[in-house]
Amino acid sequence: MGNKKQSASVRRAEKNLTIGLPRAMLYHRYGALWETFFQQLGVNVIVSEPTNRRIMEEGAALAIDETCLSAKIFLGHVQTLIGRCSYILVPRITGFGVRRDMCTRFSSLYDLTCNVFRTSGQKFLTYNIDEKARSDEETAFEKMGEFLGFSQKEVKSAYKEAKKAEADQRKKQIRQQEKQYEKPGMKILVAGHSYVAEDACVGKPVLDFLEKSGAVVIRADLMDRKDALKKSTQMSPTLKWEINRELAGSIQAQKDKVDGIILLSVFPCGPDSMASEMIIRKNRGVPLLNLVLDGQEGMAGIETRLESFLDIIRFKKGEMGRG
Amino acid sequence: MREAYLGIDIGSISTKGVIINQKNQILAKEYLWTEGDPIGAAKRLIASLEKQFDKENYEIVATGTTGSARKLVGSITGATVVKNEITAHAVGTTTFYPEVRTILEIGGQDSKIILVENGIAVDYAMNTLCAAGTGSFLSSQAKRLGVEVEDLGRIALQSEHPTQIAARCTVFAESDLVHKIQMGYTKEDIIAGLCRAVVQNYLNNVGKGKKILQPVVFQGGVSKNQGVVAAFEKELKCKVQVDENGHLMGAIGVAILAAQGKKRKKFDFAVEDTEFRTREVCCGKCPNNCEIVCVYRDGELIDAWGNRCEKGEISK
Amino acid sequence: MAKNRKGTKNLAFPRIANYNCAAKYIMEQGLEQHCVLQPEMTRHTLELGTKYSPDSVCAPFKTSLGSMIEALDAGADTLIMTYGLCRLGYYGELQEQILRDLGYEFEMVNLSEFTTGKKKDYLKAVKKLNPNVNLVHFAAAGIEGLKMAEYVDEIEETYYKNCGFETEKGSCRKIFRKFLRDMEQVESRSEMDAGYKAAREALAGVELEKPEHPLRVGIVGEYFTVMDAFSNLNLEQKLADLGVEVHRWMNVSHRNIHYSGEKNLNVSIRDLCRFEMGPTSTANIWCARKYAEQGFDGIIHVKSAGCTPEIDVMPVLQNIGEEYKIPVLYLTYDSQTSDTGLMTRIEAFYDMIAMRKKVR
Repeated sequence: MGNKKQSASVRRAEKNLTIGLPRAMLYHRYGALWETFFQQLGVNVIVSEPTNRRIMEEGAALAIDETCLSAKIFLGHVQTLIGRCSYILVPRITGFGVRRDMCTRFSSLYDLTCNVFRTSGQKFLTYNIDEKARSDEETAFEKMGEFLGFSQKEVKSAYKEAKKAEADQRKKQIRQQEKQYEKPGMKILVAGHSYVAEDACVGKPVLDFLEKSGAVVIRADLMDRKDALKKSTQMSPTLKWEINRELAGSIQAQKDKVDGIILLSVFPCGPDSMASEMIIRKNRGVPLLNLVLDGQEGMAGIETRLESFLDIIRFKKGEMGRG
Repeated sequence: MREAYLGIDIGSISTKGVIINQKNQILAKEYLWTEGDPIGAAKRLIASLEKQFDKENYEIVATGTTGSARKLVGSITGATVVKNEITAHAVGTTTFYPEVRTILEIGGQDSKIILVENGIAVDYAMNTLCAAGTGSFLSSQAKRLGVEVEDLGRIALQSEHPTQIAARCTVFAESDLVHKIQMGYTKEDIIAGLCRAVVQNYLNNVGKGKKILQPVVFQGGVSKNQGVVAAFEKELKCKVQVDENGHLMGAIGVAILAAQGKKRKKFDFAVEDTEFRTREVCCGKCPNNCEIVCVYRDGELIDAWGNRCEKGEISK
Repeated sequence: MAKNRKGTKNLAFPRIANYNCAAKYIMEQGLEQHCVLQPEMTRHTLELGTKYSPDSVCAPFKTSLGSMIEALDAGADTLIMTYGLCRLGYYGELQEQILRDLGYEFEMVNLSEFTTGKKKDYLKAVKKLNPNVNLVHFAAAGIEGLKMAEYVDEIEETYYKNCGFETEKGSCRKIFRKFLRDMEQVESRSEMDAGYKAAREALAGVELEKPEHPLRVGIVGEYFTVMDAFSNLNLEQKLADLGVEVHRWMNVSHRNIHYSGEKNLNVSIRDLCRFEMGPTSTANIWCARKYAEQGFDGIIHVKSAGCTPEIDVMPVLQNIGEEYKIPVLYLTYDSQTSDTGLMTRIEAFYDMIAMRKKVR
């Protein structure tokens, strides 16, 4: 045990202890939490640059071909951080309770990454949220902090600050979304995992194009999560994935306030393959576009689909031809 | 009279055939398009081989078939060996390149990678997705660009800045290609981009997780395209060898397997004048409704396959 | 269903591997309801399922939907669907929705609805199936049903190890088929035991011509596709027919009834993975390494297209293949029904491991 303690303090004393954060997957959900936590502990943080074509290609080369685009992108981000930091953070999260599961890819991502980069010599850091093992977020962060050689007190206070930063950021984002409704123009609710919607190479171009075409984008992922979870059971009682429930609940709550819904997902997403089908079946009559991206189609094709979707809505509203 | 062996490789796009002697030297060879008619292609192939073949001194004592229509052509030609194309390619290549460690192969609709150690195949993979990045994909894109498929390689080599082309799926690739043409990229750059996309697609799909060690041999119809060869060398950062008979390697391999086999049966060139017909019969004896392929020689049933259970067995 | 007693339900469960006999036993002996055994899965089942399923959902969703339709067409009025740790856990609700949209009328007992974290809530599902259920009776039949699943696994295991070497072709198959038919008919533990014993003895009596060191292939992969012969296009039979001793650890006995747990299995694969990467990932990685260590000639990994947990196991298996120099063949199944492509891959795999063995 003494040995373990020593190695922990050595880790802490490591000059320039630097943690690398891949700007992909759960970074788009927990970025503020992670950055604040490590900064509070006095640890350097580097975040990989926004996704670009090269990151996407390198990730695709590393991943098994059938892996979802988001995981490929994730591996591409990890690749850019290799050798630039003491540890790269890859959390493992199985879920938060009954019908609050994460996609199984978040159970595997840490080990998957370690296996893919097995010969790189890079060290990886994780925290494990596993309901079965009774390890919630706070416990998991405490263990991670302890592993890095910090005292319980230091870790606890850093976590507290991090949670505050996370909540503040969240509140701001939600407020911004609500403000969107005040803008003139047709409202399009875009429902996609944050890591799809926010990715510079995947969701971002879609959102930008919508705005450029005069639509007001409302992001379904930026709604109060607790409210959304509650709402989701109205639409689908046994929907089991936390993020899909948030999106389904958000659609349930806002579908009457918007002109159209776009389901935005990447190919091939396991949970979305089923959840989107249910959403479509339960929302017949609402203009809805199911847009599945695989990063290969080129923007021209996507723009055509988006344009015609917006035209259909305008046509329905009788705005066609009025410019 | 000396012994000779016939090997035929009938793929979806092209049909290849060789006759070799006991020293694995090629006595006759032919390469032609299957044109959706494997029986007709086999007959044309055999007719052409016959013209080159020295019947005075040699006699074909064993025949092997491989490729996607191996069974059909096997029953028509009375083959002594019917082997899958992966084994045939591995055997052919290791005979001429005993040191080879990696065999890359891109054919009409299939692509594969075979890893070799001490002359024995130790691991392989085949494409699982669609035909994107294979020979048929390249020919259809060539047509779109108004270029002969044979010229693709030469044109690609003239490019200095290959265009990015998405080649994961034929449909996406086509729309991307059209887009790039409209954007005004040069033909050279687009074709070089296509070659590069084929290679990336191959390495991301078939070659995923495989350690590609030297010497590397590249074969199959697409190996005739120097643009793809160059793209491979650039991506793998090593020399990629292409045999002048690389496109015939499956046929050569299965001829060698026929030579090594115990079965002997004199090959009869009369096949080219015989009438063969295949008919697909739906079994209908259970909801599987298997499609059973029946092969007739001059109206007489000589072979049938395709049934999953005993119910669909057809006796000759 | 004229012979059906008044008030009894006609229950059905989608086809899965060879286990429907055990499900039937529990429904009839434990729940005292009538069980509708729909036909075994065929191409028609898959076509039905594919037609009404979302495109990129995993293949077992499609086959089980097709099997549900066939059950309803065969007279079932109540469908039972299980819970699961991956997408399987959401199959039930979406399948019910699709069937209702198609206009089918039926009662649905979806175990996902009753999965709340408290085991006793499953009793509510039992009560829904039969409000007057005798729980003691039900528990006993449940245990016996599981025993039947174990019998099925044991006979099947012996079957695939030996059927490639029988001197008279088809003799093992005959015994295996009869055994499965028997299990569908039995109504008591003693009948069940007798059928099992008869099959075991008959299999032991089949004359085999097996070399001292036959080619051995270990199969790992996704729970449903790896066990269900229809879904994997008879992979095990095809291998056996080439003369291979086929081993597969994954079955209900090993993974569910006698599972030693992720923690215990993880001990020997700690260097490859630290956590449970998916519902059957630890078991598959552990099993693949065991086959490699025991000097098997090859490993085949089986999954339906898009199966997230099994895709994620592949990089680990690649590392095992490299470490032990054992060939690993990866097979992905979608809604294809043609097996020429599969046959090419299996034959090549067989040639490869056979040649390697000769040299060794």
